[in-house]
Amino acid sequence: MKQDRRGSWYLLTGAVLGVAFGLFYSWVISPVKYVDAPPYALRADYKDDYRALVASAYLYSGDLLRAQDRLAQLKDDETAQALAMQAQRALAEGSPEEEVRALGILAMALGGGVTPDNSSITPTQAATYIPPTSAFTPTPLLIEPAAGPTMTLQTSPTPLITENIPESTTNYQPVRTETPTPTLGAPFILQETQLVCNINQVEPLIQLEIKDAAGQPVPSVEVVVTWDGGEDHFFTGLKPELSLGYADFVMTPKVVYSVHLADGGQAVGDLTAAECVADDDSRYWGSWFLTFVQP
Amino acid sequence: MSRWTKFLIAVILGAVGGLFYGWVVNPVEYVDIAPESLRVDYKTDYVLMVAESYQVDHDLGLAVRRLALLGSSAPADIVANALSYALQHEYASQDLSLLQSLGEALLTWNPNQEIPTP
Repeated sequence: MKQDRRGSWYLLTGAVLGVAFGLFYSWVISPVKYVDAPPYALRADYKDDYRALVASAYLYSGDLLRAQDRLAQLKDDETAQALAMQAQRALAEGSPEEEVRALGILAMALGGGVTPDNSSITPTQAATYIPPTSAFTPTPLLIEPAAGPTMTLQTSPTPLITENIPESTTNYQPVRTETPTPTLGAPFILQETQLVCNINQVEPLIQLEIKDAAGQPVPSVEVVVTWDGGEDHFFTGLKPELSLGYADFVMTPKVVYSVHLADGGQAVGDLTAAECVADDDSRYWGSWFLTFVQP
Repeated sequence: MSRWTKFLIAVILGAVGGLFYGWVVNPVEYVDIAPESLRVDYKTDYVLMVAESYQVDHDLGLAVRRLALLGSSAPADIVANALSYALQHEYASQDLSLLQSLGEALLTWNPNQEIPTP
């Protein structure tokens, strides 16, 4: 009689206790361990370390295929953009210049550009990307970039299997292929200078976009802007959300500026803040947009 | 079958269900792992990258700090393990030379001069 009054609740109690024990054991005492994890499972800061290491190793080998394969293990959506953004963060955080330079060079190589010989890096002010609309006076200028990376070695690494993280089933093993001929970058020329009128842009800017022969934006190109009594350096690609080949500089009205790429070439001079006229006859500052291309 | 026997069976079945859920259906996910947990082939390539980078900067302290992310073993041991794996899997001779070069350099490294800071 006494047992009948209790019913079968004891079974449910036992099952609940068992489930609780099982979860405690599997989540706390002996959780699944990822001892054979791939790089994409790395924490964000370790991924940054990994990218920096890939870039640094690339400086030694000049092996773009190997660098691409290594970066592919991180499964970034946009590899070149991830590198450029990391370079931007590294600049802001005061990371070693060599690291920033390596990241920039690899980002540029992945973007299909040439390798710049960057020696000093200074970030620029924030700005808004304004697509050029009105043509000004195109004046072809010849600007010599540095030589591209020496492609001497290539690899074809392949990844291994992991029990808990789905992955391919072969070993990740680098294989080298000799590629002896250095690649020199063609010179950049100034294709176009435009005055851009955008009433939403409060400050007058010097905006640049640098493209390679394939029309792809080229990051990490050092640009030098000079004026009477001053000079500043900045790099393309530090605003990857706009374009990897984009850079800008805020002008002070009535100051005359000259712009050239750090690797040499003729300067674009006599750039001053110019006014635009709105529909209601009010005036506002326009921006100069310079486009450099590889022929 | 006694009531206690049934109770224990219920506990065991519950535990099996809990383990299945915790290990298979919804296991603990390590999405933010450290390089120490990388698979051995990725670790080897990581060491190889350190070796390549060392050829550029010749900064042994930096190489040690990078290797320290792979675990608490001595840097020279980490490189030795990588070299062993690379030999077993027939890495290119240039890669083997780089690993060997780094390993030899680490033999001269004095941990009292530079403390690794992962």
